[in-house]
Amino acid sequence: MFRLQGSKVLAVDMTGDAVKAKNGSMVAYDGQMAFKKMSGGGEGIRGMVTRRLTGEQMTVMEVKGHGTCWFADRASEINLVGLQGDKLYVESSNLLATDAGLRTGTSFTGMRGASQGNGLFTTTVEGHGQAAIMSDGPAVVLRVSAQYPLTVDPGAYVAHQGNLRQSFQSGVTFRTLMGEGGGEAFQIRFEGDGLVYVQPSERNTIAGDV
Amino acid sequence: MTFREINSKMVEATVTPGQKLFSQRGAMLAYKGEVSFTPNMSGGQGGIMSMIGRRVANEDTPLMTVEGSGTVLFGHGGHHVQVIGLTGDTLCVEADRLLAFEGTLQQGTMFLGSQGGVMGMVRGQISGQGLFTTTLKGHGAVAVMAHGGVFEIPITPQRPVHVDPQAYVAHHGDVRNKLSTALGWRDMVGRGSGEAFQLELSGSGAVYVQASEEKL
Repeated sequence: MFRLQGSKVLAVDMTGDAVKAKNGSMVAYDGQMAFKKMSGGGEGIRGMVTRRLTGEQMTVMEVKGHGTCWFADRASEINLVGLQGDKLYVESSNLLATDAGLRTGTSFTGMRGASQGNGLFTTTVEGHGQAAIMSDGPAVVLRVSAQYPLTVDPGAYVAHQGNLRQSFQSGVTFRTLMGEGGGEAFQIRFEGDGLVYVQPSERNTIAGDV
Repeated sequence: MTFREINSKMVEATVTPGQKLFSQRGAMLAYKGEVSFTPNMSGGQGGIMSMIGRRVANEDTPLMTVEGSGTVLFGHGGHHVQVIGLTGDTLCVEADRLLAFEGTLQQGTMFLGSQGGVMGMVRGQISGQGLFTTTLKGHGAVAVMAHGGVFEIPITPQRPVHVDPQAYVAHHGDVRNKLSTALGWRDMVGRGSGEAFQLELSGSGAVYVQASEEKL
């Protein structure tokens, strides 16, 4: 059971089940807990190879036991996402914890990933259960529907879920090349039906510089 | 209550004549009324011996005495501030996390080795707290700083609490602490879960934990 204690601390009540959480993000626990390092990006040999190749090697630990465990990471805001069989795409650095019932994997993002400054791959979470994602400042959830596509700054993008197609937009013009750009040279455009999580802060990206 | 939380990062303290406040030097943001701030050479209460004690213990955060009548606003470095009320029990807190406290509280220094012997000293080193910590005892309120907000976890004899040493802020009550290690072969081969050391707090009281693993 995931619950938020304030906006920056995640409390998980456990009764013998296990959760996966970012390495070293435990701040306190009571009861009996065991911590074991795991590796993100899928299980087994295939997962290991993918991780090595993609650089999405999120270090995850498995927490198992009875009691309450509290997680937090560098005072980031935490958002709970409930998944019912759908897929959540999130940057591995923004993923704090997932239920045991969720599978994590790696997927290719292409140009979008490069523009975010996060590399070409991203982490996917799928299954039934809850996940906790982190954002720098409270995230807003924006709904995308067929009539209303959404365009997001790559640096402010945190995660998305649902049936979304993403495309990469660039507004590079002659002015940008002359160093007179507006600082918004690249955007990600989401079309389809789903949710996009956006944080009120921008990571350092290539796009932010031009 | 002398301290009133204005928002999560500022507290307002009411000062009345004859009542003293101690605060970290430079933590005053604004004040109303006739209030005087005197740097406190000895770094807190007590005589010259306490001062030497604190110097030796490296727990001598520069403090100032606040006196007069009026209201003072305190805040520091954009850190979250938590007001903790004490009713006769002892609060253990790192000196650099102290923002302000009432003069009615008795300040002291505790040697960590006295709690848990050698492991207590190891604990201090690992959590970056050093070998000594500051204690405040009596009736009054304390404003403590933390990165990213604090939450309180009650400790009961049946439910000991384990805390990440970096996220630990303060504790009060009749609490024993010891460093528990969960070092296994995995840590030796560099596959640790990052939670090799934990502070185990048992007894009855409460521990304050911050939502971050960063020191101040």
